[in-house]
Amino acid sequence: MFTFKSLNPALNTGAVGAISAVVLALTGALTAPSWAANPATVGQPAPTFTATDASGKRVSLADYKGKHVVLEWVNPGCPYVVKHYSSGNMQGTQKEATAKGVVWLAVNSTAAEHSDYKAPPAMAQWMQNQKAAASATLMDADGKIGRAYGARTTPHLYIVDPQGLLVYAGGIDNKPSSNPADIATATNHVKVALGETLAGKPIALATTRPYGCSVKYSSM
Amino acid sequence: MWALLAPVGAVLNRMLACPTFKTPMPEPSAFSFLAFRVIALALALAAGLAPSQHAHAAPGAVVVTPQVRAELLAHAPQGLAAGTPLWLGLKIEHKLHWHTYWKNPGDSGLPTTLVWSLPAGVQAGDIQWPTPSRLPIGPLMNYGYEGTLLLAVPVTLPAGWQGEQLDVKLQAQWLVCKDVCIPEEGEFSISIPARAASAGHRELFDATAARLPQTAPGVQGSAEVQGADLVVKLRGMPVAWQGQALALFPEAAGLINNAARLQPQWQGNSWTARVPLDAQRSESPLKLALVLTRAGEPGGLRVEVPVTTPWPVVAQAPALPALQELTATSGSAAGGSTATLPATLPASPPATVMPTSGAATTSAPATSLLSALLLALVGGALLNLMPCVFPVLSLKVLGFAAHRHDRRALLAGGLAYTTGVVLSFVALAGLMLALRAGGEHLGWGFQLQSPLVVAALAALFTLIGLNLAGLFELGTVLPSSLAAARARHPVADSALTGVLAVAVASPCTAPFMGAALGLALGLPAWQALLVFAVLGLGMALPYLLASAWPPLARALPRPGVWMAHFRTLMAFPMFATVVWLVWVLGQQVGIDGVAAVLGALLALAFAAWAWGSPTLGRRGRWGFGVAATLTLALVGSWAWPSLSEAPSGPTTGTSTSTSTSTSTNASPAASGTTTSDSEGWQPWSATAVARAQSEGRSVFVDFTAAWCVTCQVNKRTTLADASVQAAFAAKQVLLMRADWTRRDSAISAELSRLQRSGVPVYALYAPGAATPVLLPELLTVANVQAAIAALPNPSP
Repeated sequence: MFTFKSLNPALNTGAVGAISAVVLALTGALTAPSWAANPATVGQPAPTFTATDASGKRVSLADYKGKHVVLEWVNPGCPYVVKHYSSGNMQGTQKEATAKGVVWLAVNSTAAEHSDYKAPPAMAQWMQNQKAAASATLMDADGKIGRAYGARTTPHLYIVDPQGLLVYAGGIDNKPSSNPADIATATNHVKVALGETLAGKPIALATTRPYGCSVKYSSM
Repeated sequence: MWALLAPVGAVLNRMLACPTFKTPMPEPSAFSFLAFRVIALALALAAGLAPSQHAHAAPGAVVVTPQVRAELLAHAPQGLAAGTPLWLGLKIEHKLHWHTYWKNPGDSGLPTTLVWSLPAGVQAGDIQWPTPSRLPIGPLMNYGYEGTLLLAVPVTLPAGWQGEQLDVKLQAQWLVCKDVCIPEEGEFSISIPARAASAGHRELFDATAARLPQTAPGVQGSAEVQGADLVVKLRGMPVAWQGQALALFPEAAGLINNAARLQPQWQGNSWTARVPLDAQRSESPLKLALVLTRAGEPGGLRVEVPVTTPWPVVAQAPALPALQELTATSGSAAGGSTATLPATLPASPPATVMPTSGAATTSAPATSLLSALLLALVGGALLNLMPCVFPVLSLKVLGFAAHRHDRRALLAGGLAYTTGVVLSFVALAGLMLALRAGGEHLGWGFQLQSPLVVAALAALFTLIGLNLAGLFELGTVLPSSLAAARARHPVADSALTGVLAVAVASPCTAPFMGAALGLALGLPAWQALLVFAVLGLGMALPYLLASAWPPLARALPRPGVWMAHFRTLMAFPMFATVVWLVWVLGQQVGIDGVAAVLGALLALAFAAWAWGSPTLGRRGRWGFGVAATLTLALVGSWAWPSLSEAPSGPTTGTSTSTSTSTSTNASPAASGTTTSDSEGWQPWSATAVARAQSEGRSVFVDFTAAWCVTCQVNKRTTLADASVQAAFAAKQVLLMRADWTRRDSAISAELSRLQRSGVPVYALYAPGAATPVLLPELLTVANVQAAIAALPNPSP
């Protein structure tokens, strides 16, 4: 025999609310395992960021919507970076790109506690000494941008197209060595990729192997 | 002093000798300082420490740097003759915490290289790389060696070789890293006597041989690409290895996410492991060489397995439309580079924008928030009519009849209920946004991609249904203190009901609201959350209005026996929902999984009756209750593995089509070629779309999922329509189906490229067009026909 008490739907539903909470919790638990950030993928929207450059200015990827943007991971303490700067190869690539309206952002993700770390003024000075033609040098000591892009080495280069899609990820060239003499015979992947994407063509080698020192991330 | 040191020092950083190094360097760079420091130190150390017997011959057997001591060794236990064993090896002793790299260095670093200078006819083989260690550095993972390492190389002498000694020269380069990296190189030379045994380093050569990965006979397997993961399957693993935790080292670099944790599974002698691919993968080999290690076996196993699925093509960004390209170039052509303008025009004419006859759904961001909010409000209100929500809420409204005179209590309950609904929606959406920000490829409806969640929902609906049908009462199940607390706090109870309403509504929101919510996901986080909050508000609105509007409560018939009948009636839509959920489960886990879940539901019903039946006596309750609980636990543990294990269906390309996922395994060979199923639909892959486009064919892709009701309706009506099929055939449109019933990151990636977060999505790719035309979620024969008509005629 039904009574109003047993009929009260709230009584029926309230307790299964506990089950529903379990369902919601389960949903979270099941999807959590690969919480670890997946880095940027070529063909996908490039991770957006806002950072402070070596001169203290705020720089945001969104500022450059409509332009090609090159991201170059840099660490003056890394011999492979030095290989491409001392030979003038990196500056040459930067000049060629920026002359075509490409925005070139050097990114330094070295953690502040690492011996390779350079404070923003020292970093700006270094870039100036190198006569670098980067549009800006971003300080990423907490490694947020580096981790979002999955930057592993210095140098490690990325190209973002005017729609904000990541179109290239990889090395500066195809000769993984510390010998500057190899630059002359190497294929500069970034120049080729920029040439293709500026001509409106898809990039043939959209991912290549970067080589160099590991990015000196803070070990949190 | 330089003159003294120079002949001894073998470390010469080649950069110093290189002219390109010096010319463009106006100021002393950090590098020149660093290089100088390294070389000066190395020379000083070499001078002091290296026992160099050849005062005048340039290189010796040993090179010492501040990071390593390297020595060229020979092992010829029977002297030198053709056919007798001869090994050369570079021994590298690393200073504490310094390391050099394996043939696959992992995320950074470079493998050591050896360049031999040997007399004519003498051949040096490849480096026998000992099994490396995993060397984590921050978020990165390298593969390499610390401590003492020997890179041994087998050498063969030509037949009839004769001589007093063998002169060997080696030019070696290695990158040595701790928290900083230093590229170093050394030149070495030794003479090996022919008549005497060179066996002074036997122990090291033997120990190194024991550290080489061994080929295990009988171990076979394969590797396949499943979405964003590589799945390695090995059979016939040696007994000593079974059940152990293994580490996996691919010999090819640039393939997997090196730092990611392996998801292994043992089944007898079979080992299956899933590991995420490198998001910026640069290699697509047909065969994988893998080295496996386990604790206590430093050498490990080496296996070669074929990759049985095609590698997904790295998505290429669409070529720019010409117009944007021109403005971008002219904007930057201040330097007067107009001459380069023609060169920057796309080589092929850009795809013309298809007339979509109102089919395009992406609108400008400014208006999209407002429209999304409006859609969400209406959509939320409509949710109340869904079969999964209606029974619960209708009963709730009937509750008014009991409180018809207490206006304040009614309103408080309504507000609490609204709060519960809105907060639950925001929480669920927040969870999804957080996961997406964390890099997960999820869309709304992601909950239903997990078989466990679907099974839990089926259990929840079964319980609600049984309760409504009167099989059990909660008053008997709940501890009396809890029941009393609930009676005392009707407001909290109402809020909880709100949470429940969202839980029961979630299977319905996904299929019906997917498209609108996809729009919301394109918005900034706070706006997206606002949309979800408004969706909740919309859902709660009818109840809130009813609670604030007393005439409605008064308009309800007096409480009576009709309410009991109504309640029982409402059990049926609940069970109908269970039927649907079990069907979805069937798509995900197959018929065995469904049987297991149905068994679990039966046991659950038994337990609910035993513990909650209002008519069962105390002894009966305990007797049956214990038995039922045991049964439930038993069946649950039986059902659990089939729900939680990795998808068992075949992976054809990067996704499975609904029709093939329930059938038996497609043969690996067939999966490479696109096999058509009976309806003429092929499983989707980005590669296949690109291939068809390049062949001049148009492609229609149906992004679908079993749990998506709209998808199923479209599939069975419009897409199955004879005239639509004929129109597709006339234009030779390739039909593909991307099944998102289970999580599939390749499909998620394509959806987000199309700026959608959920299914259904209908995309029509014209040949040469970078972006497809998107059709509305609710397909009609007319709008599909119009879109097909706009396609170019197939090239003969």
